Amino acid sequence: MNPTSAIRFAAALFLAPLALAQNDNPAAGKDNLPPPSNLVGPGPLTMPASQAAGQPNSQGTTFVTPGMPTLGRRVSSGQVTRFTNDFNPAFSFIIDATGQVSEAENGADGADVFLRTFEIGGNAWVDPNAWAYFTAVAEDEGIGVEEAAVHYTGFGNKNVVRAGRFFVDFGKQMQTHVHDLRTYERPLVLREYLGAELGGDGLQWDSWTTLGDATVVRWSLGAFASLLGEGDEDADPANTPFASVVEGTKREDDFSYTARLTGFTEVGERGTLQLGASARLLPSYELGLGLDAGAIGADLSNTVWGLDATYGWVGETGIDSWTFGGEMLFNTGDVGAELTGADDIYTVVDDSLTGFYAYGDYAWDRFNAVGAQFSSAEVVGDERSELEVYYTRLFSEFHRLRFVLGASDSDVDGSGSKFLVQYTTILGAHGHGVNW
Amino acid sequence: MGRLLQFAALAFALALAALPTVAGEREPGAKLKVVTTIPDLADIVREVGGERVEVTSIARGKENLHNVISRPSHLVALSKADILVQVGLSMEMGFIPALLEGCGNPQVRPGGKGFINASDGWQPIQVPAVLTRQGGDLHPQGNPHMNIDPRAGRHFALRIAEGLSVVAPEWKAEFETRRDAYLARLERAEKRWLEFAREWRGRKFVVYHQEFNYLAEVYGLQIVANLEVKPGIQPTPNHLAQVIETMKREQCTVIATALWSKNDFVARVAEATGAKVVELPNMCGGIAGTDSWIAMLDLVHARLAAAFGTPVPPVQ
Repeated sequence: MNPTSAIRFAAALFLAPLALAQNDNPAAGKDNLPPPSNLVGPGPLTMPASQAAGQPNSQGTTFVTPGMPTLGRRVSSGQVTRFTNDFNPAFSFIIDATGQVSEAENGADGADVFLRTFEIGGNAWVDPNAWAYFTAVAEDEGIGVEEAAVHYTGFGNKNVVRAGRFFVDFGKQMQTHVHDLRTYERPLVLREYLGAELGGDGLQWDSWTTLGDATVVRWSLGAFASLLGEGDEDADPANTPFASVVEGTKREDDFSYTARLTGFTEVGERGTLQLGASARLLPSYELGLGLDAGAIGADLSNTVWGLDATYGWVGETGIDSWTFGGEMLFNTGDVGAELTGADDIYTVVDDSLTGFYAYGDYAWDRFNAVGAQFSSAEVVGDERSELEVYYTRLFSEFHRLRFVLGASDSDVDGSGSKFLVQYTTILGAHGHGVNW
Repeated sequence: MGRLLQFAALAFALALAALPTVAGEREPGAKLKVVTTIPDLADIVREVGGERVEVTSIARGKENLHNVISRPSHLVALSKADILVQVGLSMEMGFIPALLEGCGNPQVRPGGKGFINASDGWQPIQVPAVLTRQGGDLHPQGNPHMNIDPRAGRHFALRIAEGLSVVAPEWKAEFETRRDAYLARLERAEKRWLEFAREWRGRKFVVYHQEFNYLAEVYGLQIVANLEVKPGIQPTPNHLAQVIETMKREQCTVIATALWSKNDFVARVAEATGAKVVELPNMCGGIAGTDSWIAMLDLVHARLAAAFGTPVPPVQ
């Protein structure tokens, strides 16, 4: 160390405490505003840049629009990426319980309490260009993986490729897990035409572009090993010989496909409108009554088309909102099977069926919402409809109570009604991959 | 559909996806497209950037900042932006991460040269020692409502000038000149605000949400209760009863709310205690006459002085 440096070093040692004392002097604020300790100069980041913004928001995961999952949308906190170790996935556990009283002309009456869903989820960045998540749910005999997929964003600025097992991009309600729905049940027409949930193992390409300053258009194409929806677990094949309980199987060498085109635009100062068209194509599949039974029909094909519209209005403070949405579905081709003839033989039905759902939802603040959802669908040999009216109370972003009054009607089974209390809690950072 | 056709369609889709999409480079001399999360930052960007910037704010001024709802225009603006300026400290966690992921513009993401985290270097208050959801909607990095701190304008101006200069170094000297002119105006404003606050030390008030805590810290005001049970958690009847009791005991006669939180709970407590309700902006633009950050702070000081009954300094 040369003498000049030594003098500077000694002076710094001597002056440093004085400088610190100057900063700590309470009198400094008498005629001037007291300075925050790091007011001047580029101080250290107060948090890792990856946490400051940009990580998937675990409550919505991606950009969401009106009509998409409600839990966590109205109330969005900063807690979802609070893990101190960025390399750890954010884990979540969902407990979704139900108490129910039901009455039906032809069906089960009575009261019940049950755990509807116990879900385990995780999501994390894989590297700068990819993030991944999984969702597993407890089933009667173990754990079922509902989704396990990677979002790859490295191809370009507005392209995302998702690979793995995930819920397909069809309309605005099929991607949603049941505990995230705005009311208790997924719309009847979706359950009938696409299944209670519609996930597949495959690949999806997703892209979007802008049209002007206030409109965005997105499209996606997906190819899946299989896209036969999950059936109604409570239905009894012996008593209900209709499409919803006839199991489908796929041929090994055929894929199933999805496509979606949607536009999202602004309507006035407070409103937004989203219009979309979706398709699920099963070019070739077989119908059967389970793995051990013979096929009812082979080389069958089916396409479900959907046209959806969602209008969202948000008050000027951002805490009250109206949402109206609906979707028209067309189920064409080999839509199922029915018992025919004196011997009760299953016959494949080639038909064109239509159905729809519509809902309205009003949230007067971040914690309270009411709404109604109606759905009607033609199915093989029957016409069914369902109405649900609900009140949702969020105690916090992670804690929800919902009361639901439901009524159903069927040409074959008659009418029914139910009253439900749904209680849902989220532990950890809840996340699903969703497309807007 | 034959197997070959299926794979061809799949390969075509993947090929399209793999096409490189290059973000548009800013032409030399073109204005900087800046998106800010709140109007306060937009105002200061205009002050520092002058004619060199074209600014859009996501929030408009009346929203609860933790609950700003994304619109298509936000996605479009961010996808074309050269710079994003956010407050940080998790203030915008409810909407910015999703918009950033969706907008497809790496330049404005954290780590990109167009990302400005305006709270960098700020010393936040109320940094939670323990992160538990028993604490409600906690912000792990501390209270994010620093934009209501009278010292924040100075801090924002410094960060913004630095950030603009990184993206457009050719205009650095111009940005610094404009920044210094703004800091000089701020100095005059700060003296004015100190005059307002000369008799405020020890004055008591109640808030709905923890939005005005920096203000309290600067001037030695006492926040004796929050109407929210915990940040982001709605009041319960039991909690409101405790707040009323505390206000009576502490002889607290002022309740400060933002536009979004001036609700029935506030009215009920005001009625029970006879307290005055003072509506304060939580950002620029929400109340008439608060289009600039300095004007907003002027209004905050004037309204608080009126609520406390303390002298209003003469207009200079």
